[in-house]
Amino acid sequence: MDIILTNYFETGAVILFGVGFATLMLHRNLIKKIIGMNIMDTAIFLFFIAKGYIKGKDAPIIINSFKGVDSYINPIPSALMLTGIVVAVTTTAFALALTIKLYNHYQTVDLEVILRMRGENND
Amino acid sequence: MINYIPIINILILILFSFVMMLIKKNNIVKFISLASNVFIFLLSILLVKKVLIEEVITLSIGNPSNLLGIEFYVGKSEALVGLVFTFVMVMILWYSKFNLEKEVEENRLSFFYILINILLASLLGVIYTNDLFNSYVFIEVSTLSACGIIILKDKKENIKATVKYLIMSTIGSGLVLMAIAYIYSITGHLNISNIHEIIINNYQFHRNAVLIILGLFTVGLGIKSAVFPLHSWLPDAHSSAPTPASAALSALVIKVYVFMLMKVLFRMFSYEIVNSFIIMDIILLLGSMGMIFGSIMAIMQKELKRMVAYSSVAQMGYIVFGIGLGTISGTAIAIYHIIGHAVTKSSLFLISGLFIKKTGSKKIEDLKGIGREMPFTLGLFTLGAFSMVGIPILPGFISKWYLSLTCIEVGRVPLILIILASSLLNLLYYFPIVINGYFGNENLEGKIYKSKKIPFVRLLPIFLLVLSMIVIGGMSYNLIGLFSI
Amino acid sequence: MNKDIILKEVGKIIIPLVQLFGIYVIINGHLSPGGGFSGGTVLGTSLIIMHLIYGEDLVRSIYSRKKLLVGISSSLIFYTIIKGYSFLSYELELPHPPLGNFGSILSAGFILPLNIAVGIVVACVFYIIFSIFIKDEV
Repeated sequence: MDIILTNYFETGAVILFGVGFATLMLHRNLIKKIIGMNIMDTAIFLFFIAKGYIKGKDAPIIINSFKGVDSYINPIPSALMLTGIVVAVTTTAFALALTIKLYNHYQTVDLEVILRMRGENND
Repeated sequence: MINYIPIINILILILFSFVMMLIKKNNIVKFISLASNVFIFLLSILLVKKVLIEEVITLSIGNPSNLLGIEFYVGKSEALVGLVFTFVMVMILWYSKFNLEKEVEENRLSFFYILINILLASLLGVIYTNDLFNSYVFIEVSTLSACGIIILKDKKENIKATVKYLIMSTIGSGLVLMAIAYIYSITGHLNISNIHEIIINNYQFHRNAVLIILGLFTVGLGIKSAVFPLHSWLPDAHSSAPTPASAALSALVIKVYVFMLMKVLFRMFSYEIVNSFIIMDIILLLGSMGMIFGSIMAIMQKELKRMVAYSSVAQMGYIVFGIGLGTISGTAIAIYHIIGHAVTKSSLFLISGLFIKKTGSKKIEDLKGIGREMPFTLGLFTLGAFSMVGIPILPGFISKWYLSLTCIEVGRVPLILIILASSLLNLLYYFPIVINGYFGNENLEGKIYKSKKIPFVRLLPIFLLVLSMIVIGGMSYNLIGLFSI
Repeated sequence: MNKDIILKEVGKIIIPLVQLFGIYVIINGHLSPGGGFSGGTVLGTSLIIMHLIYGEDLVRSIYSRKKLLVGISSSLIFYTIIKGYSFLSYELELPHPPLGNFGSILSAGFILPLNIAVGIVVACVFYIIFSIFIKDEV
């Protein structure tokens, strides 16, 4: 139990991942599924960035003078997750464009209704 | 200078795809894309020649030490797989020069060539790289460009297939990123060789974490490679895409993710570590179920391209089965099957495209008697079907034979029955097309001999693919000795 | 028409300030948080706000679709060439750009031109995606 409470960043990230996954699976509206996908990706970024935190040290920005390597947190996870955020934004934009196309064809964003209409038009 | 060919390949492909964005005339776009891919193919031949002499090329980009720079590790398997991928892409682009106008509208034609260049650049990046996060970036680029080439054809089933593929791929990428976060937090390095040196000494203290990392990598990369229970996006996506796009997807894209899984399992962790966890038995089980269920679902299909797509699921089962055996020879056969299946499946998809174009229908029952109308084309299809079933000399037989030998070597003899069962099931869905095409009087009446014949110049890319399939089958003894991870 | 007059007058003051802030974030990428992607997002947002307040015709007359596409392609080609140069320059021992003083803007070699290229690409792409969505012509 203490392990869960001391690493509260990682616990929060895993709970958020579960929330995002449940939203992705259980809602019928496509826009809510895309929101769930975004929440899942944000949870993974939180997990990774929290791994770089060292208690009591500063953010890795040089303001007036360089204080030596030991007084800053680990900057590598933040730099890597910048790429991850870009990828998540691109995927969200693509998924939203596909939702607009589906709406133009079927006049609904409800996934069950769309899948039920599968057998009718096979062109 | 030849050492730098991996990064030069990727940069040339990306540069020419950006140049193609500015050009309006479709003929110049096709010429540029074909020229750049042929150039890449010739450079890959030079790279293979050098690697066969020197065993391994490592080059570190940005900084000479691999702690600060990104390392590319090109051994014999990576160079040969890269060579085959560039060859298949040249043939697919040659085919699409004549046949893409029927499936994609005029003003979208240039997008296909732009996306194919970016797709090939990212696939080569995943194959050559030795750095975990660099491979994640290339995996994401390949996912997005693969979704892009499916959506070029503007029908309803394409949009549904792309939404399914995109959402499932994003879940897979998220799991892979979480696994990379775990392994970075244990070891502190991102380079595969450095992680290997650290984790060999320390894995006993972190057994739970290593088990979670292996599970996350397997599920994440397995979703994107259509391993058995998570394959449901594949038949829709590969059957509704335009024909050159589905050939590129089935032959090339799903393979690089299992190649990355092999690198993670056997180069990052080693054979001893991975065999001491239960994950290898699970991978073996998923591979066997994929082999059987893929073939069973393929028998029940009525459309030609959907049947060939389900056959891809079954063949990915072979590769995962080879990984699950957990020995050096199992891995070598999995890499050989990657090469063999790439040339076979791409030729089968391209021939299906020709059938659909000439008969005007997508269903299998309208292919009866096509042997009299297009005899040479159906002959090439027959050779591809022979390789899938397992007729000797062709690569399908070599994979099954050596997989059975490895099963005996590991000591699990009953698994040979699964390989035999899946070969018989392959027979049940490929041979009706061949037999109904060539024989049977009620099929052949009313068909005029060679009425829908395709000129040999247009069939030349498919003929070269089938020829290379026979060459790969014949040279198999020398090739399998070269592969190692 | 009179309902929009507050928006138009405030927009005339605010939009140039937003763009100035975006350019500041891009140029200071190597000294403080920010850089190409975030600065590009701010610039793209300024174009979106201009589209929403003043209508599509004004934005089309200043930033036409053709100019945006040419901007994207040329920035991407520039980025690829410079990245290729910097990857291959260790082996071939080609000259390096000057590193400059620590803490001033014109320093750190190639990072400044690359950030500007990425910023232009991201801003143009954001605006093009928005205009496609709002016109319903995906």
